[in-house]
Amino acid sequence: MAKRFTRRAMLRGAGGAAITLPALEIMFDRHRKSYAQAMTIPKRYVVCFGGQSLGGDGDSLHNDYVPNTVGANYDLKSALAPLAPVQADVSVVSGISIPTANGGTVPAGGRRDDFHVSSLSPLLSGVRSPSNTASAGPTSDQIVATAIAGNTPFKSLVYRVQVEWYLSVSAPYGRETISYKANPSGGNPLAIQPVVSPKMAFDALFNNFTPPNDAAAAARQDFLLRSRKSVLDLVGANLQKLTTNPKLGTADQQRLSRHFDEIRDLEHQISSVPPPTTATCQKLPDPGADSLPGGNQGVDGAGNNTYTTNLGYSGEEQRAKVFCDLVHMALTCDLTRVASLMFTMFQSHMNVFALTGQKCDLHELGHNGDPASKGTLAVSKMIAWHMKHFAYLIGKLRDTPEGGGSLLDNVALVFLHEGGHGLDTATGEKNSTHSTENMAALIAGRAGGLKGGLHVAATGKHPANILITAMNAVGVSSTTLGDVTGAIPSLLG
Amino acid sequence: MQQRGELRVWWRDRVGTSVLLTAALLAACNGNIGNNGGGSGGTTGGAVAYGPTGLHRLSRIEYDNTLADLLGDNTRPGFASLPEDVNDPFDNDFSTQQVSGALIAAAETLAAGASARLLADTARRSALLGCTPSGAGDTACLETFVRAFGRRAFRRPLTDEEASGYVGLSAFAVEANDFYVGVDLVLRAFLQDPNFLYRVETGTPVAGKAGLYALGDYEIGTRLSYFLWGSTPSDHLLDMAAAGALSSDAGRRAAAAELLADPRGAARIKQFHAFWLAYDQLPVTADMASALRAETDALVARVVFERRGDYFDLFNANETFVNDTLATHYGLPAPGSTTGAWVPYGSSPRRGILSHGTLLAAGAKFDDTSPTLRGVFVRNRLLCQTIPPPPPTVAVDEPPPATGSPCKVDRYAAHRAGNCAGCHNQTDPIGFGLENYDRTGAYRAAERDNPQCTISGDGEVAGLGTFNGPAELATLITGSGGMESCVVMQLYRMALGRRESAGDMSTLSKLTDGFKQGGRAFDKLLVDVVADPAFIHRQLEP
Repeated sequence: MAKRFTRRAMLRGAGGAAITLPALEIMFDRHRKSYAQAMTIPKRYVVCFGGQSLGGDGDSLHNDYVPNTVGANYDLKSALAPLAPVQADVSVVSGISIPTANGGTVPAGGRRDDFHVSSLSPLLSGVRSPSNTASAGPTSDQIVATAIAGNTPFKSLVYRVQVEWYLSVSAPYGRETISYKANPSGGNPLAIQPVVSPKMAFDALFNNFTPPNDAAAAARQDFLLRSRKSVLDLVGANLQKLTTNPKLGTADQQRLSRHFDEIRDLEHQISSVPPPTTATCQKLPDPGADSLPGGNQGVDGAGNNTYTTNLGYSGEEQRAKVFCDLVHMALTCDLTRVASLMFTMFQSHMNVFALTGQKCDLHELGHNGDPASKGTLAVSKMIAWHMKHFAYLIGKLRDTPEGGGSLLDNVALVFLHEGGHGLDTATGEKNSTHSTENMAALIAGRAGGLKGGLHVAATGKHPANILITAMNAVGVSSTTLGDVTGAIPSLLG
Repeated sequence: MQQRGELRVWWRDRVGTSVLLTAALLAACNGNIGNNGGGSGGTTGGAVAYGPTGLHRLSRIEYDNTLADLLGDNTRPGFASLPEDVNDPFDNDFSTQQVSGALIAAAETLAAGASARLLADTARRSALLGCTPSGAGDTACLETFVRAFGRRAFRRPLTDEEASGYVGLSAFAVEANDFYVGVDLVLRAFLQDPNFLYRVETGTPVAGKAGLYALGDYEIGTRLSYFLWGSTPSDHLLDMAAAGALSSDAGRRAAAAELLADPRGAARIKQFHAFWLAYDQLPVTADMASALRAETDALVARVVFERRGDYFDLFNANETFVNDTLATHYGLPAPGSTTGAWVPYGSSPRRGILSHGTLLAAGAKFDDTSPTLRGVFVRNRLLCQTIPPPPPTVAVDEPPPATGSPCKVDRYAAHRAGNCAGCHNQTDPIGFGLENYDRTGAYRAAERDNPQCTISGDGEVAGLGTFNGPAELATLITGSGGMESCVVMQLYRMALGRRESAGDMSTLSKLTDGFKQGGRAFDKLLVDVVADPAFIHRQLEP
């Protein structure tokens, strides 16, 4: 019996009976040929980020991350130990670096000498660092989203696990996001503020999922969506009026245009036909109210630092897990094809005590902030925390059947770190966390023939070369990202 | 929209475009080693009447205050849900605000939540509605509600076109056979509207002045209310706007006095101080934070609203409002109260707000006080002097190392050698004058980790004189002649929700002179700010 595939038919006809096959299985006939014309499995792209460098100040061991073995069957050191269950699908790229001004001008793809302010732009966009803390170019996830998002409800997901900046008398000024998109009015790219609330992220993804086999609930859902859309239509209409008000200057009109664009994106999301519930694509359990923000890290009445009372921490452990679950399901259901997941900020002041028992924040960890846990092996513990979640996400993608293989076959993921370890060209200090020498990164997934399970010593390469590799793997054929050119051929089939 | 970024990320206060009023004092400290050229700050001159401004979106605190006043909703949901404001030092600088999908999602979620809570509370619901619906399709009642609520939500009367758009949502009420479905949708539409989320200002062009607009009464009312209450105009203030009473300075003076007489005015002025002096989110445990905040709030209230005398009493006060725990923490006699009472400082070397844990918490680093950062705090926040960041060659993430003696005063001596001395001589000696007070304001005679290192507490404000302890520092800086203009500038920033620029200098001078000549009465300054023509004009951004 031929399967009639129209989403509307499934939802609105025949009592909305649930399909029990994996969502994209129905696109193929028994012989694994594409059933509907031009319907192929989309590629997906994920960028993850962890704050902090790979080693500790003053430690001659640059990292406990880069395997000794080059090639297949690489050894897992302490920072990457949690990758063991998914090692076959993850490749390690070592030997990369971001050049610095070294007292002169900032080179292409390079950064100014002061570390914290400057690695963001070249790391994520390949464009050399500007004079401020923002990215000077659009980041790879946004470039890929423009290319491959198609008509998905969410052009991309931009999530962050670390809840707040956590430092008094201070503000992040751009260190709080890894996604920047091109500015439609020209000029500097626009920072995309991440969604930090797992509950809001969940609601956005699943609000319009239709409960299977419940016509009354489906009717209620439909009413809610229509009324919601009417509300947004009114908001959009008022925005339109303002953006064309000649008394408002250009700058104000542009602000309101940006706001209007976001309303339009929200309308697109809620108007999209929700995916059918299948064996793999399902509405996740509601994560419930967000954990409370933990406030800025500080001291108790006796003046002792309060790492143990969890100031500067807001339950990021559980939030990380929920965000990984959301990214996984959003990709499975084709709600989006691109995600950026910032676990911790650049120069992260998140208190890590609840995660590793170390008494300091993530930034200070590299500066030997906990006297009882210093150096590269200490820093590696927090890298391992990030890797635990990265492995969890990869495992879920791998274990999700799709198109005769797994979802992971169609995904490329990159994990980037804030720095490497080595010479700080600002101060001349060696073995410093303030360095983008001796960097390393991870690339995972099998999209476009990406090979997992390899350690590639890519000496002299730039982190953006890995991003270009991943971009190529998902069908974005650009040979450049910002100032940087070329993929890493040994990673691709 | 240009984002003003800082050059060194650990640098606590933005090196912005503020114009130095005492630039000469810091001529030796310009952040460029060996380079005596160029000061900092300053903007292009030009024939503008006032500094440029753009649309202001409600900050998180303003949003929550507004929700409370519009709907009687005191749950303060915006603070956790809306994206973090950039406190620089105030939360309402339009140039730091960005739109994002996260903002829009939060606005929708917050609107739905606020509406649901309101409709579930039949008392609040009927009070807000103002009419009894005859049925699901009672558009007359809905329109009454739309216009009344809309006037408050948009802070001006709705146009007929706007009103009919909202009344059109009645179709859903009819479909669901429930009038309150319409109310829900109307509320959600209002609370996401740009006219609600932003304080839209247009006004009328001023002849002969390119880009200058004179605000209308409703826009003035909105500025008044968000300055002095951090919240939406009351019906009474809207009525004053309707009567055209706010364009005269007498009308604004009267309105301001009323706003300040309300408890919301006092709360707002306390919040001004908390942002200005960096204690709005204290890095201490919750109990301590609440006691410290209560202490400083009480002093602010006493100086500004009760005594209404010389504002500098804030810095010279000889009593403080503490509970038993906090009194003991400070080494003061406990007043026998868990909630707090006024305790004289007596023979203790403490006086005024500089002795409070709230201010002494600023400038902490490496688990302890940083004399450098405390000095920067005093220069930056109290004297409005910009201290540039150190050059990239300095490893600021490490404490100054011990080269012999481990004592802090000796370790920090390295800062005062060679090229670093220019700036550090402006900052470190201030911090060392406060070193007997730890980062929660407790007194210490010696360093906690090196008890052999006695702390002398001797300090200096270069250019003003020497001092020991917060009381003497207060005397020095209040007597310097430079603080009045800084107080005025900081207040102006919050009042207008932007940094000052060249076009504002004559207004600031005028206000400063008025402050000095008026006995430094802060309540009078507040009213002078709103009475000034700057308050009722806007200048387009270039």
